Amino acid sequence: MKKLVLFLCLSVFSFGVYAEGLEYYKLYSLKEGMSADDIMRIVYHNKYSLFSHDYQQTGDVLYVDASGFTRKRVWKRMRITKAGEDGIAYKDVVAFTYPTELKGLAVLTWTYENYQREQDVWLWIPSLKKVRKISASQNDDAFMGSDITVEEVSTRRFEDETYKLTGEKDFQGYKFEQTGGIEYKGEPCFVIEAKPVKSHWYYSKRIIWVDKDTGGNIFDEYYDKSGKMFKTLFRKWVWEDLGDKKYPMQIVLECKDLRTGHRTDILMRDTKYDQQISEYNFTVKALMRSRW
Amino acid sequence: MKKFLFLFLIFPISAFAAQIGDNFEYSGYLKTEIWVKTNNDNSHQFLSSFRDTIDLEGQYKLSEDWALFVHPRYSYDPAYSIRGGVFDKNQEKMGHTQRTEWLRDCYLDFTSDHLDLRLGKQQVVWGQADGLPFLDRVMPFDLTRYWLPDFANIRIPLWMAKVEYSPRLNSTLQFLFIPDFEASRSASANDTFAFKAVNDWETFKGINSGSGGTASTTIYRPSTKLKNSRIGLRWRSMLGGVDYTLNWLYGYSTSAYTYTDSFTSMFGSIGNYVVSRRHKLMQIIGFSFNKSITNLGLFEGLTIRGEFAFLHNEPTYYGTQGHRSYTEKSDKCTYVLGFDKSYFTNWLFSLQFAQFIHNQKTFKGTQALNSYTYGLMDKVESYLTLKIATDFMHERVKPEVLVIYGDDNDGRISFKTKYELRDNLWLTGGYCHFWGPAYGSNGQFHNDDQISAEVKYTF
Repeated sequence: MKKLVLFLCLSVFSFGVYAEGLEYYKLYSLKEGMSADDIMRIVYHNKYSLFSHDYQQTGDVLYVDASGFTRKRVWKRMRITKAGEDGIAYKDVVAFTYPTELKGLAVLTWTYENYQREQDVWLWIPSLKKVRKISASQNDDAFMGSDITVEEVSTRRFEDETYKLTGEKDFQGYKFEQTGGIEYKGEPCFVIEAKPVKSHWYYSKRIIWVDKDTGGNIFDEYYDKSGKMFKTLFRKWVWEDLGDKKYPMQIVLECKDLRTGHRTDILMRDTKYDQQISEYNFTVKALMRSRW
Repeated sequence: MKKFLFLFLIFPISAFAAQIGDNFEYSGYLKTEIWVKTNNDNSHQFLSSFRDTIDLEGQYKLSEDWALFVHPRYSYDPAYSIRGGVFDKNQEKMGHTQRTEWLRDCYLDFTSDHLDLRLGKQQVVWGQADGLPFLDRVMPFDLTRYWLPDFANIRIPLWMAKVEYSPRLNSTLQFLFIPDFEASRSASANDTFAFKAVNDWETFKGINSGSGGTASTTIYRPSTKLKNSRIGLRWRSMLGGVDYTLNWLYGYSTSAYTYTDSFTSMFGSIGNYVVSRRHKLMQIIGFSFNKSITNLGLFEGLTIRGEFAFLHNEPTYYGTQGHRSYTEKSDKCTYVLGFDKSYFTNWLFSLQFAQFIHNQKTFKGTQALNSYTYGLMDKVESYLTLKIATDFMHERVKPEVLVIYGDDNDGRISFKTKYELRDNLWLTGGYCHFWGPAYGSNGQFHNDDQISAEVKYTF
């Protein structure tokens, strides 16, 4: 009986709470004196928009090679935060609307609270007019052929790395290739060194610059085993004013492969939070509604 | 001509509509593909196909819940004109889109949390198998290019009502009411992918006719009465992390089966034949499932999927090698087990094992026959398929290979590589090799290896 009560108590406690104290649907700010772990928990909280009940956005993805030749993809994305209900942290749907050859391709993903459990993924394949359950892509796989890995977009968790606060500095600024403008120059940041828990991984460490204002990681430097930087990842965050509240919102991502000169830009637009999106939109039935 | 006019009209209308609001959305493509036969068997049909296709898709959102979707497509294949009457006479049946298949989709959609309706011409797909249509039997098939094209292009759409009711999240009951009827079709005699049974019958008819015999064929389609409508039910849900479906389909078979209604012998097999092609009432009962292993361990990342179908009262041919004696209803069981996993980051390996089991292997001392070739079939026919796919250059180059192998050493291997030249310009190259005995499903095409190239412009 005691075990049952304990189980029920834990169940109730764990509902709506995750990652050692951070609660779903709440917004957290960075403060002086926080540990690297505390900072990174908030970074992940913001990265996956776990402060909101749901959100939707459109993304323009640009693949640009060293010569400047550009290919484009456009996706629409919806996410609903499940806050641990049935063990699920959140559900995602990403549907491609451009180019025509990929139009209709859609992916439904359920991400679980248990970070050791892989995502459940369903894929709508227009050429077959069929939904297929697929294995979650491997974490080091390129996300839809971009320079960004799958884990950088959707699967990396707080528990996948160990963290060390190396200092607090003003960011040196980043030249955003899409506009040519210098971003975040002089912005106060926490600088954190993150090392992957996996012993043989595609990077040995990354240096993360976390914006003190929005709590977003604005710049990641990736290093290989020889200590050479091989990739950078820039993100731009803004405050989205919703009247009674403000959410930190990521609007730009630029990933550069320093070895090949290839880069991927993701320009996010039309983002809307807390639209009361029905969970029925995150089912296989909804995926099969696709007309393309 | 009317179809061309329709296409030329719809395009500017679509473009205009795109200007007038966000509720309208369209896309489409122009495609040219060429298939060339690589075997030199002196048939002179080295040019199998030189098909040009125009495809348009348009959606108009009437409201948040209602939408109209229309999708016409028309193909013209001048290969038959180029070859003219010298090598074949199939221009009329093979040289352009047939019947009403130019309209791929035309339906009204209603969507809500608990109830979805799709009314109109559409495709419905069942099952979990790739490239093996065991449970995927709702739609008729266009096999004029055998099973080589994408399945969405092989299925022939039908007018129907599809109702999806979700009593709870992740569980759905699908009801199909299909008053429309189209028959599956295959290539005409002497075409590249004409079935051996079709070619052999055509040859025999020539001999029979030359010897003074006659052969008449009557095609009987189910009459267009409401009572002849096909109906289907599918329950889809999740149980312990396993997605599963339970399926039932009842109605006339989409394939027509050959019956010899009467035969008057003049001498031996020469004589007067009265033959009919008929569709018969049959049922399909089945289930399908899939499960991804998401927990850490040896099988992490493995997807297991499968389907089973019991075919009740499906007409079956019986006879001796190359000769059909009877067409009788019988039951069959089929199942497929599939295993998918990615290795080396982005190399997908997809393996399937399938079996086709005749409940009644013999009839009146004769053996069940392959309906494509009239070759003898075993009680259990087994198949193995393997697909390997990957990508390079940021998914700009996507090669894949598919091997299908039957237990009578009958099979095919297809290579295909897709290259994205630009967002709206895609090139595809492929090669397909067949092998096996002449009476095998794939072996019948052992002299029909194909090399193909395709250019597709999308908008």
